[in-house]
Amino acid sequence: MLDYKELAARYGLEPIPDSVTRLTQLLARQDADLEAIARVVSADPELTVRLLRVANPRATSDEEFTIETVEQALLRTGVGCVLLLAMGVPLTTAIVKTFRTMVGLEVRSVHPASVPPFKSEHLYGRIRFSGKATGQIELRMTVPVARRVAAAVLQSPEDHLQDPATITDTVGELLSIVTGNFKSNLCDAGLNCCIEPPQVHLLAQPASSPPAAGGVERLAFRGNGVEVAVTMIVDPWAE
Amino acid sequence: MAAKILSVDDSKTIRMLVAKAFRAFDCTVLEAGNGEEGLAVAERERPDLIILDVTMPVMDGVTMLTKLKEHPELKRIPVIMLTAESGRDNVMHIARLGARDYLVKPFKEDQLIGKASRIVNLPARRGPAAAAGT
Repeated sequence: MLDYKELAARYGLEPIPDSVTRLTQLLARQDADLEAIARVVSADPELTVRLLRVANPRATSDEEFTIETVEQALLRTGVGCVLLLAMGVPLTTAIVKTFRTMVGLEVRSVHPASVPPFKSEHLYGRIRFSGKATGQIELRMTVPVARRVAAAVLQSPEDHLQDPATITDTVGELLSIVTGNFKSNLCDAGLNCCIEPPQVHLLAQPASSPPAAGGVERLAFRGNGVEVAVTMIVDPWAE
Repeated sequence: MAAKILSVDDSKTIRMLVAKAFRAFDCTVLEAGNGEEGLAVAERERPDLIILDVTMPVMDGVTMLTKLKEHPELKRIPVIMLTAESGRDNVMHIARLGARDYLVKPFKEDQLIGKASRIVNLPARRGPAAAAGT
């Protein structure tokens, strides 16, 4: 008889964060009310701020929030969205760990507004996930940064990377790793879903705006001259 | 005889990293871009170890592992899953199918070599290639 804890220890797997498990259990209960969910969210200051940011999409700073309470925000976004926001924590962890392990680069999460929008040509990657949770993870970086990142992953001089396909494949693989980790957390939280292969290409201008419905969370990372923008888009929640 | 290691991954980047990880050792690394190709190479080459991704087009790693374990002549080839998916149900399912070990991406070269060397003999490569690290 296989035991998951034994397997996880043997394989060196990391468990899903407790906060996500608590929210999942609460959301799975048919009788869970908004107040109970709000209490769990309110106990986590970081999650609270991120939920309020999603509920106030036009605010350029936290002082401009018109929706100011967790309960109001939950009514606006839907209770399911908060679980995906909680997933932003392991998503951030996955990005930091992937860059540290595969690129040899320490990046840290910064306020998304501190990374300027990519107005000129840049590399854009996207992976969709679908199932009990549906949405996509997007990643953007400038072409020079993508080249530098790919060279670091492949441990090759930058000027040896002549084939653009090598750069896009490497960036696509980094995105696959991050999204695969993210998808695993979703599945562990009871939100079984599948991911599609990455799509990575050069964009000459900013990508079109994400859908208004559902949840959109922007994340940004910076380290040693590298800036990476990540967007988590969650389609409208099927309650 | 030098060990034959088959790397099955749709990402050229990962196949390159796996090949590079084993360069310092006296072994041969074979490559396949999906499960279907992987099965064909396994039948033809009879590798000593397969390093297998999960999410791939054409045939995914779980299907390839299932078919491998059903094959009377290939079922004893040990498999290390190398995947970004670490979900509980997936891990349990893959373990039940008979994967020998599991390495979650992102990974470091020495983690892969550590797991592989518990399964196959990996003597250090001799000669100019080893000295140059190429």
